[in-house]
Amino acid sequence: MKRFLSILLTLALLTSLAAVALADDAPEPITLTVFRGDPGDQPTEDNKIYKLIEEKFGIKFNFTYLTGDLDQTLSTRLASGSYPDLFDGGNSADLIISGGALINLLDYISPEKTPRLWAHIEPQKARLIEKNAEGKDVLYIVPNYGLPDGPQIALSVGGPAFFIQKQVLAWDDYPEIKTMDQYFDLLERFLDANPTDENGTPYTGFAILCEDWRHFCLINPVQHLMGRPNDGEVYICVTDQNYEVTGNDPSVEFKTETFIDKPYAKAYYKKLNEMYNAGLIDRSTFTMSYDQYIAAISNGTVLGMFDQAWDFGTATSALTDAKMYDRTYVALGLVYDPDYVNGVEIEDHYLNGSLPNVRRGFGISTSCQCPERIVAMWEELLSDEWQLLLNWGVEGEDYYITDDGRLNMTEEQYANTQNSQWKLANKADGFFQSSPKKQGWIMNDIQVGDKVVKAGNCWEPANQDEIVFGLMNDYDKEFLAAYGYAKFADFVNAPIDLAPYGEAWQIDYTPVTTAHDNFLKVQDEQLPKLIMCSPDEFDALWDAFVAEITPYADEFAAFMQDAVLAEAHKVLDNK
Amino acid sequence: MTGIAKNPGTDRTPKQVRAGFLRRLCGQWQLALMSVPMLLYVLLFNYVPLFGWSNAFKDISNERGTLIAFLRGDSPANYGFNNFINLFKPGAIPFTGAIRNTLAMSLINLVMGTVSSVLLAVLLNEVRQKAYKRTVQTVTYLPHFLSMVIVVGMAKIIFDSNERTPGPLNSLLLSTGMLQEGPDWLGQAKYFWWIVGVINVWKEVGWGTIIYISAMTGIDPCLYEAASIDGAGRLQRILHVTLPGIRSTFIILMIMNIGHLLDTGFEIQYLLKSSGTQQVAYTIDLYVLEYGTGKQIDYGLATAAGIFKSIVAIVLLTGANFISKRLSDDSLL
Repeated sequence: MKRFLSILLTLALLTSLAAVALADDAPEPITLTVFRGDPGDQPTEDNKIYKLIEEKFGIKFNFTYLTGDLDQTLSTRLASGSYPDLFDGGNSADLIISGGALINLLDYISPEKTPRLWAHIEPQKARLIEKNAEGKDVLYIVPNYGLPDGPQIALSVGGPAFFIQKQVLAWDDYPEIKTMDQYFDLLERFLDANPTDENGTPYTGFAILCEDWRHFCLINPVQHLMGRPNDGEVYICVTDQNYEVTGNDPSVEFKTETFIDKPYAKAYYKKLNEMYNAGLIDRSTFTMSYDQYIAAISNGTVLGMFDQAWDFGTATSALTDAKMYDRTYVALGLVYDPDYVNGVEIEDHYLNGSLPNVRRGFGISTSCQCPERIVAMWEELLSDEWQLLLNWGVEGEDYYITDDGRLNMTEEQYANTQNSQWKLANKADGFFQSSPKKQGWIMNDIQVGDKVVKAGNCWEPANQDEIVFGLMNDYDKEFLAAYGYAKFADFVNAPIDLAPYGEAWQIDYTPVTTAHDNFLKVQDEQLPKLIMCSPDEFDALWDAFVAEITPYADEFAAFMQDAVLAEAHKVLDNK
Repeated sequence: MTGIAKNPGTDRTPKQVRAGFLRRLCGQWQLALMSVPMLLYVLLFNYVPLFGWSNAFKDISNERGTLIAFLRGDSPANYGFNNFINLFKPGAIPFTGAIRNTLAMSLINLVMGTVSSVLLAVLLNEVRQKAYKRTVQTVTYLPHFLSMVIVVGMAKIIFDSNERTPGPLNSLLLSTGMLQEGPDWLGQAKYFWWIVGVINVWKEVGWGTIIYISAMTGIDPCLYEAASIDGAGRLQRILHVTLPGIRSTFIILMIMNIGHLLDTGFEIQYLLKSSGTQQVAYTIDLYVLEYGTGKQIDYGLATAAGIFKSIVAIVLLTGANFISKRLSDDSLL
């Protein structure tokens, strides 16, 4: 017996040695530390996608997600001087870039060394590649989103818009709402007729979230009413979409001003003041935390608000889960009535042509020991096969391919993709969301096992026709049919290509932080007061507000004017 | 004061004093050795960081682009007293406003906190039913262990002033007819300091009583007996025995609290502030947080604010100590 055991042991030892020897040619295993600039959950130990990545590249990830305040976390990291290998600065990547925490990826990315990555960024390289202080070309972050293949896909509004509950539109027999006045008029009529929901909970006519950086719900709408996309806190004059052809002088074309202190902004806040005094806006909206806001929307008792669709996505899912489809929202592209702007007809501009998400996503930090391995991995992951795996999952398990080469999911498979617990074990979101990725249309046939995915499918399941319309609830189908629309994006303009400067909210304003900070603080404080004052005080308060904010606004606008022109020139000169 | 050990150096020359000190130190070397870890701790964590004060006189700000150089290891340029001057420049949230808010909220907290703690301690001291006393004590000091996030979250629900769906407080006020219109508790600047005070009292009142109750147990029961023989009623016993008995504890706590007058912290204010109340919500700590590590990142300015705060705290502490020494014999130093 003893002898038998020892033979068995020897055999076991030998096989394990052989296994070690076999694994030798696989790359040396490493674990990368990863920081994500937004909150999230750790993937499970046996996550199937990370397992595949580890098998192929020998790379494991150790995730740290944001807890607490982003800017404080990043500045603490900067002060400590040791960084995670993959560093995602979220919306404040400017901080870690100016702090010198990221390496220049152009040392590793080139048409020869990394053809896929290069082809990925090449169409937008004028926007992505910057010049550093020494005049050298630099690229710190390959954007996580916004480099799609093929024509723009717009199924719904994902960004800013005026939102309204579907039941309000249905109640008024599906009217076409195009202007601010029509919008508030409808809300007012609905609220008069229906002060409470079926449970007796009072409706809130119009909610304004003001908490911390989410105060864009309070301070951003005016530019949209003026027919401009999201330029942050400035209004930029773009008169002619064909500036390149006509050779317009950019200094006239892109005249930049803050809008909040201008007469055309007064009309909006005067309207809000009117609505406040009519009982449409509740005073507690100005002290509401984000959680309270989401809770209120999830209850289905908020009729309308200005916001960005992603900002209340959790509330939308809650409403959908509760099957309260009539309480979900439609994004409307509102503009000012011509009466407010000297009779000018304004056209809405809420949906844009796509734009790279500049300076958002993973950068590789100066602490990283193996940048070339990470870049090589990204290069390989940008292959069609890997992208299909990362976007759609494993064929047969997470999706299926029809006989005519279309991608589709069963109801159960789709339900899985909405389940956060399932995703932790079966999706590589923590890594993939901040990594370079393909979006838009699948341009080439892809061989998966013995099946072929035909060109013309979508990279993202959420954009795939079969998924979108196959899973749409009946209420939404009927709702769209009542309007004669094919998709919810039809409520706003068709995507319009952006001016060469892009979207000005992306501009880094660190050099005028103090002025900008003061500029925002005055708005945070005075705009609620303006909305809540009695109508006869409004004009005097408005004048006082303009007087208080002008010095800060002027300094900020002057800086932004230069920055916008510089951005525009970067693209125009590189053409 | 009856000193047990007489100062051995009263009638000796300085040299003899030094020799005497050394001899005494050697004699107590076990005790001296025991104090070494604490000494190291204080040196390491309280004195060594003082070198960072030099940053207050340097130019280390994101805005002027000097932060990057600093983080890369270059020594920053001398900036003189500019950081201190910048502190007092007007801005949307002025530093002077932060000082005012800090002092106001501290004083409110100090007065409300002390009065409520002493009151509760006196009342508990009069309770003879042990089980009841213990229960009350436990229940009142438990909130001390709650995180401020939870406490402020509860406060936000209680003080919710939505007009259509008011929170518990406004519901009560309106339904009992005490008020015709529910006040906008969280949106109006005038209520903010008091709400902070009330939250602090609720959270800390039980914790504050512990030290007073222990001081009261130290009062000689003979005094109470003597007082009642002299015909003192319950109220008079409280006034003439209990309160004088905790006087020195009270004064020492007061002096220490005055030293911490500028430490209102920032948690409540940070969590509770909104657009309408930010002017009264910014404390010095919150100011340092925002301008030192927030979006602005100006290490120089933040350090200057910190130094300013420390200096004021030292002045307040020695001042309070001096006054208390003059008024009575109780003092901290």
